[in-house]
Amino acid sequence: MKDQMQDEVLLDVQDLTVRFNVGGGGLFGEAKYLYAVDNISFQIKRGETLAIVGESGSGKTTAALAVARLVEAYKGRVDLAGTDFLTLNDEELRQARAKMQFIFQDPYSSLNPRVRAEKIVREPLDNLDAVPESERQAIVDKLFEAVGLHPEQQRLFPHQFSGGQRQRIGIARALATQPDLIICDEPVSALDVAVQAQILNLLRKLQADFGLTFLFISHDLGVVQHMCDSIAVMYMGKVVEYADRLSLFNNPLHPYTVALLSAVPSVDKERRAATKRILIPGDPPDPLALPKGCRFANRCPVAQDRCKTEQPELNEVAPGHKVACHLVDERAVSPL
Amino acid sequence: MTAPLLKVENLRIELTTRDGVAPVIDDLSFELGAGESISFVGESGCGKSMTALGIMGLLPEKIGRIAAGSILFEGEELSTASEKRMREIRGNDISMIFQEPMTSLNPVYTVGEQIAEVLRAHQNLSKSAAWSKATELLDAVRIPNAQRRVNDYPFQMSGGQRQRVMIAIALACEPKILIADEPTTALDVTVQAQIFDLLNDLKRQTGTAIIMITHDMGAVAEMAQRMIVMYAGRNAEQGPVENIIEHPRHPYSRGLISCVPHIMATLTEERHPLTEVAGIVPSLREFGKDQCLFASRCTMVSQKCLDKRPPEVAFADGQKSACWHAEAV
Repeated sequence: MKDQMQDEVLLDVQDLTVRFNVGGGGLFGEAKYLYAVDNISFQIKRGETLAIVGESGSGKTTAALAVARLVEAYKGRVDLAGTDFLTLNDEELRQARAKMQFIFQDPYSSLNPRVRAEKIVREPLDNLDAVPESERQAIVDKLFEAVGLHPEQQRLFPHQFSGGQRQRIGIARALATQPDLIICDEPVSALDVAVQAQILNLLRKLQADFGLTFLFISHDLGVVQHMCDSIAVMYMGKVVEYADRLSLFNNPLHPYTVALLSAVPSVDKERRAATKRILIPGDPPDPLALPKGCRFANRCPVAQDRCKTEQPELNEVAPGHKVACHLVDERAVSPL
Repeated sequence: MTAPLLKVENLRIELTTRDGVAPVIDDLSFELGAGESISFVGESGCGKSMTALGIMGLLPEKIGRIAAGSILFEGEELSTASEKRMREIRGNDISMIFQEPMTSLNPVYTVGEQIAEVLRAHQNLSKSAAWSKATELLDAVRIPNAQRRVNDYPFQMSGGQRQRVMIAIALACEPKILIADEPTTALDVTVQAQIFDLLNDLKRQTGTAIIMITHDMGAVAEMAQRMIVMYAGRNAEQGPVENIIEHPRHPYSRGLISCVPHIMATLTEERHPLTEVAGIVPSLREFGKDQCLFASRCTMVSQKCLDKRPPEVAFADGQKSACWHAEAV
């Protein structure tokens, strides 16, 4: 039974595409679209963590927002435990959101400054019919305890908390409806390093205690390495590599992933000695004038003619290890 | 032994706040040799940037002042230098780049004009000479197509390119010291790698000493020879980077190193909970007390720590730790 539970795919995202209209489409000519997320697919098993990593503009946050329907997807499927999120009507979506909650990056702007902490945490329950009013306060008490806040802090306003404590309130709010999936969008990048550790430990503890499933968005590969079970690396709206934690970190295959990992400064002497830094020159291409071939080709140290004309598919080259690169085949050796 | 390029002794910087006067830098001493690179490390509010502003003579007017101690640059006292003299030194001898490349450039001037301005102010170059030097500098910080990009406005550049422009401005007069205050915090990691690479190259070519302020121990390990760990306005520990990372002698340095999930040479299935440094940096009101200010967050705390400020204990290779229990850490 337990094994079966663990293998259950909780979130199944297929061909998710998000595009933004960036002008045109009126009287004067054709509409122009920016494809922020372009045909990506991923799955998360119940109780596990998938991290989406990438740099600014890669589309990782837009993908997360689209999964939660906080931005409208252009096409694709977002299946959470059998419910297709993208086809729900407004009221269905409101109720279904109980199963999918969000933790935001900035604990300063994501809490209403005029509302007391207890109300912030209780609000998701107040918005749903699932929990009778008489039981809500008891749940709030439990949540405060679970995230390591004192009961007397319930009456305080957000400005009376430190950044780390605010993030704890955000986490308690996300837990209130007992969701299946929690989307964490850069949950610690606004916090000081010592406080980051507190929040990361808390998230892992809550995951173990309540069997939570995380979709974890981050640009910090150290944090991702610590938090996730599998990883999708995004570049310019595409998933370029998708693998379990050990495969991705110990055997990165896509040239972009290799360069990205090599760029992370490390305190580990051994790693610094073993890692050759691969500098990728220049900047990503203009997202409105994407190249025909591989989107990384103009910066890739090993790009060939074919890379410039033909877009690579995301192929499985080893069990559970997918790469979108013409130069990686079943031998699963990085071209770099 | 030759005199150090910069020698800061018993520096005390006070800020006037609503709650009275607080020593945001409290008895800080360190040295920087020519061509050396050192790093200041610590959480927000520990006085890293304040130290930099103090050296530059850029403390917030009327609020901040150097209350005691000295800042000797090539034997010249900066803490009492006139504003006129400081103006000559800033940009020419000591220059600074800031964290936010988005906001530290003037949006209504081209980047070329902003680089040329520094050259004309400090080196009396003619307009055309300054302009061609600006183009050269832009090329030196590896902005492709510098001839054309020199006419760009800041908004036409990416974050990484803007930070390069900042570096070009800072290095225009070949300063002896470059202070980089979190120069890559706002940038992506691959861009950070480019900037670090650039700084290291420029350092090799020009012999500029670098003071880098950061909270990232990994960055320190890549960029600096020595580090100074700051806590609540005080020097918690200083010494060679490798020594401190191998064997920190202050519980706060130890916490800063082990609270971050680092990518190691080979990843294994094993994952331990991160070491937490409980609590947060004390408020300014606590600064200046005669006790160890880290005591409230420390796992090794004893009565002594609460009664008296710990003196610096010296170890081999110049490693120094201000902790009563330094030997035991």
